[in-house]
Amino acid sequence: MIELHRVSKIYEVGPVKVPALTDVSFRIDKGEFVVLNGPSGAGKTTLMRLLYREEEPTEGEVMVLDQPLAELTPREVSAFRRTIGVVFQDAKLLPGRTIYENIAFVLRVTGVPRREITARAFEALRAVGLSARAQAYPAQLSQGEAQRAALARAIVREQALLIADEPTGNLDEGMAAEVLGVIKDIWAGGTTVILATHQSRLAASLRRRTLILEGGHLVKDEG
Amino acid sequence: MLGFLLGEALRDLRRAGRVAVTAIVLITLSLVALGGFWLLSANLGRAVAEWKDRVRIILYLRREATSLEQAILLERVKAVPNVAGARYISKAEALSSLKRVLGKDATVADNLPSNPLPASIEVTPAPGAATPEGARVLVTRLGTMPEVEEVEGSVEWVERLSDWQRLLVSIGLGLGATLALAAILTVTTATTLVLHARRDETEIMRLVGAPEAAIRLPLLLQGLIQGLLGATFALLGLVALYRVAAPKLEPLMSLTVGLPSLEFLPASAILRLLAAGAALGAFGGWLARGRSAM
Repeated sequence: MIELHRVSKIYEVGPVKVPALTDVSFRIDKGEFVVLNGPSGAGKTTLMRLLYREEEPTEGEVMVLDQPLAELTPREVSAFRRTIGVVFQDAKLLPGRTIYENIAFVLRVTGVPRREITARAFEALRAVGLSARAQAYPAQLSQGEAQRAALARAIVREQALLIADEPTGNLDEGMAAEVLGVIKDIWAGGTTVILATHQSRLAASLRRRTLILEGGHLVKDEG
Repeated sequence: MLGFLLGEALRDLRRAGRVAVTAIVLITLSLVALGGFWLLSANLGRAVAEWKDRVRIILYLRREATSLEQAILLERVKAVPNVAGARYISKAEALSSLKRVLGKDATVADNLPSNPLPASIEVTPAPGAATPEGARVLVTRLGTMPEVEEVEGSVEWVERLSDWQRLLVSIGLGLGATLALAAILTVTTATTLVLHARRDETEIMRLVGAPEAAIRLPLLLQGLIQGLLGATFALLGLVALYRVAAPKLEPLMSLTVGLPSLEFLPASAILRLLAAGAALGAFGGWLARGRSAM
């Protein structure tokens, strides 16, 4: 499903080289729920960005959904991204559109026939418990609801992989639990999940396989 | 997908607001300038073409010729190089022709003690000689005939008319091109503003795997829509201008260049103006589109 082989990423800031990841290797099988844990600056976000081909490694190979990402053409990158869902700490909802429109937007830009859009969007909203808030605008939602809406958008095309980068980073404990509950439900439905968090307690509470990153190195793979 | 792209393009237009309106106004002005000069030049072109067909050289004779002399004279004239045809006009024919021109004042001619008009030969130059130089050579040559008292004929003014027509086309193209450049830059600015306003959307679209066409086509389409709107307004403006100005200009045109009526642009020109508007807008959108690259 996902395989990283001796992956390093170095950012060049003018003449300065900043290593973000060094010699990272791991494998995640289909249907797994993996937590990526580590302090801020450990390289979690860089690793996530490599997984959805927002970045390319300086060295090594990244395989996602059994595809070597380095070999994808721009057109293939678009097609690849349609098979995965991504959520961030910031929900990244479009402020001028309702929650329903935010989700339908993803379907429309990826060419889903109009007659299927409403049913699929509402199905995704039901899955995250937001059917009643479909016509609300992002500014009218709590942070937890906004994050659930982002999750609905990430799963609306029945993606095989969900990449969640600090999805609870901005939430209080109650809201974080709500969002994690939704992510677990998505995983229980058969989607492979990789969730990055800097909160060690939260990582431990999930009781799933945990990859621990420190200073760009993978220091532990437990569970 | 087309519905989505059009919807996004219209949404982008609303986002661009006043800048988009300015772009539409500039496209309208550039096409009104171009179309206006085109309209005038097309009508002048019609006058030039008609006058070139009607160019004649008149040989006024010293005296009326007999039937036999007429036939010999016409043969000699037709034998001159670059003469396409020749027709004898008797003194009587000339007088009746004058009466026709005078119309209700024809009685003036009836009161003359004798017919003062000379007999003449109307010479039609060959098409190749209907130029100032060609006509001058022909006039000189025909003027040497002993029977000829005076020669009248020149195409210089037709050429001058033609020069005016070319000048109008050049002014129209120059003014149109300057305004078109401003219009393209304004469409580019409007599209760049839209790009800035929709950067979050673009990021999300790329993240969810939207095809590049879905990201970039709305930008081209919004430029195209601005161009088409500008061209449509320009055409409406030209029609209004034509309706108001044509009745006032027609008597002047009839008197000066012999054109009884002014015609509006033909369908092909209308289509070209619409296409030019669409192309201007789309080009502006395309220029800005480069800035949305991954």
